[in-house]
Amino acid sequence: MKNSNSEGAQTVRIRRRVIRSALIILYGLLMVLMIYTGRRHTILIDNKNSPDGFYRAIDGMTVSIDDGEPIEYYPGDRDKAVVQGQKHTLTIEIFDTGKVITRTFKIPLWTDMVLISVPKMVAGIEPWMEPFTPAEQIQETKEPDEPTEGEILFSNPGMGNTEAEGLP
Amino acid sequence: MSVQKKFSTLVSRYAVVFIFLIITVAAIPPSGLSIKYILQEIITRLGRNSFLVIALLLPIYAGMGLNFGMTLGAMAGQIGLIFAVNYGIAGWQGLVFALLFGLPISVFLGWICGLVMNKAKGREMVTGYILAFFINGIYQFFVMYMLGSVIPMGNKSIVLSRGYGIRNTLNLDSVRQALDTIFMLRVAGFSIPVITFLVIAALSIFVLWFKKTKLGQDMRAVGQDRAVAEAAGIPVERTRIVAIIISTVMACAGQIIFLQNMGNLATYNAHDQTGFFAVAAILVGGASVTHANIANVFIGVTLLHAMFIVSPLAGQNLFGSAMIGEYFRQFIGYGVIAISLVLYAWRTRKAAAEARMSLEQAPQSVEEGQA
Repeated sequence: MKNSNSEGAQTVRIRRRVIRSALIILYGLLMVLMIYTGRRHTILIDNKNSPDGFYRAIDGMTVSIDDGEPIEYYPGDRDKAVVQGQKHTLTIEIFDTGKVITRTFKIPLWTDMVLISVPKMVAGIEPWMEPFTPAEQIQETKEPDEPTEGEILFSNPGMGNTEAEGLP
Repeated sequence: MSVQKKFSTLVSRYAVVFIFLIITVAAIPPSGLSIKYILQEIITRLGRNSFLVIALLLPIYAGMGLNFGMTLGAMAGQIGLIFAVNYGIAGWQGLVFALLFGLPISVFLGWICGLVMNKAKGREMVTGYILAFFINGIYQFFVMYMLGSVIPMGNKSIVLSRGYGIRNTLNLDSVRQALDTIFMLRVAGFSIPVITFLVIAALSIFVLWFKKTKLGQDMRAVGQDRAVAEAAGIPVERTRIVAIIISTVMACAGQIIFLQNMGNLATYNAHDQTGFFAVAAILVGGASVTHANIANVFIGVTLLHAMFIVSPLAGQNLFGSAMIGEYFRQFIGYGVIAISLVLYAWRTRKAAAEARMSLEQAPQSVEEGQA
C-alpha cells in the first residue's frame, strides 16, 4: 500500500516536471517566434549609377515591397521602407520597357538595415542586397570631431558636455 | 429601514462618486468641449487605463487593500518594452515580446512584494507604497547603468551618448497603438479599439471566474478574516502572495497596454504615477479599501478621466490659466484617495462602535428579561 502510494507520488512528480519543462520550452519558443515575425528592418531602395561605371541607374520605375503602394524612382533616387519579418517580395516595373520584375528575398534576422541596388539587380550583378550601417556612412561623410545628433539635442550650452543628458 | 436612512447610507457609501460626478458635470460647460470630443477621449482612456485598474481587484479581495505595489509590475512592463525596442520588434509581436520578457520579472517582484507585505500585515498599503520607492531605486540603477554597460544594447539610438543607460524618453514608434489599431471600429464618428476592449473584457471575465475558483474563494476568506481562514486550513500567507503576484503581472501587462497607446516612454518616471492614478480611479468608481468590483473600475476610469479631460480647459476658461486646471487635477486625485481613506476609517470605527454598543446592550436585555 505504502509502496503504491510512493510510486503514485513519484509519477505525479515526474509528470509535473515534464509539464513544467514543456511550458518553459513553449515560453521560449513563443519569444523566438515573436522575434522572427516581429523584427523590423529598414530597406533602402537605391537607383544610382555605379561609381565605377559597371551599371547605370534606371530611367524611371515603380518599386513596391510586399503589398505596399508602388513608389516612383528616377536616376539618383534613394528611399527607405520599413518592413517587418524576414521574407519579402520586391516588385519593379520599368517605365521604358514595361517589364515587371519580381524578386523574393530574405533579410538576415539581426541586420537592421539593408541596401537594395535596383540597377544591380536588373543587371544581374550579385550581391544586389547588402547590409547597410549608417554609422560607417556618417563617418565617411562627416568630420571626425563633429558631435552626434544625440549630443546636439541634449548638450547643455555653456556648461560643457556633462554627459548627464537624459538623467531624471 | 426608513427612506431617509436608506438615502443617507447610499450617500455615505458613494460619497466620492457623487462628489466627483457633480464636479465633473459642472466643469463640462466652462471647458467648452463638445460632448462628442469628451466621449471619444473617454473611450480612448478606458482602453488605455482599465487594465491597470483591474489589476487592483485581487489584492482587495484578499484583504490587502489598494495595491500601491503595482508600480513594480509597471516597471517590469517598461523593461520588457525597452528590450522590445532594443531588438527592433514591432507591432503586436513587440507587445507580446515585452509581456513575455516582463512576466518573469513581474512574478519575481510580486513574490518579493508579497513576502514583505506578509511581514507587515494590516499596513499593506503604506508598505506597498514605500516598497515601490525602494524597487524604483533598483530600476533606476538597472536602466541608467546596467543597460548598455553590463547588458549590451544593440540599438544605439536608445542608449545615452556616454555609451550606457537608456535615454530619458523612448520613442515607442515601433509598437505605437499596435494593439489598438489591429481592429479599429469606426461608428458614428467614434473610433473604438475593439481588440483592446476585448482584452479588457477577457481580463474582467477572468477576474469574475477567478473569484469562483478555490483559490479565489480562499482569497475572499482571507480578506474577510485571516484568523478564521487560517483555522479553516487555508494557507493565508501563500494566498496573499499569489494575490499580489497576479496583481503585479496584470500591472505589467496593463502598463504595456498603457504605453503602446501613449506611444512614448518616459524611461525614468513613467511608472511613478501608475499606482496613484489607478487607485484614484477605482476609489472614484465607488470602491473602498475592502470592497471593489468590476463595475467600480469602469465607473472610476470614466469619471476620473472625464475630469482629467475637462478640468484643464475649465480652469483656463474660468481662471485664465490652464495650470489651475492641472493643479485641480492633482488636487482631485490626491483628495479622492484622502476622502476615501478617511471615509473608510470613519465607517470602520462607526461599525466597531455599533458592534460594541450592541454587545453591551445584549446582557442588559437578558437581565431585564430574567427580572
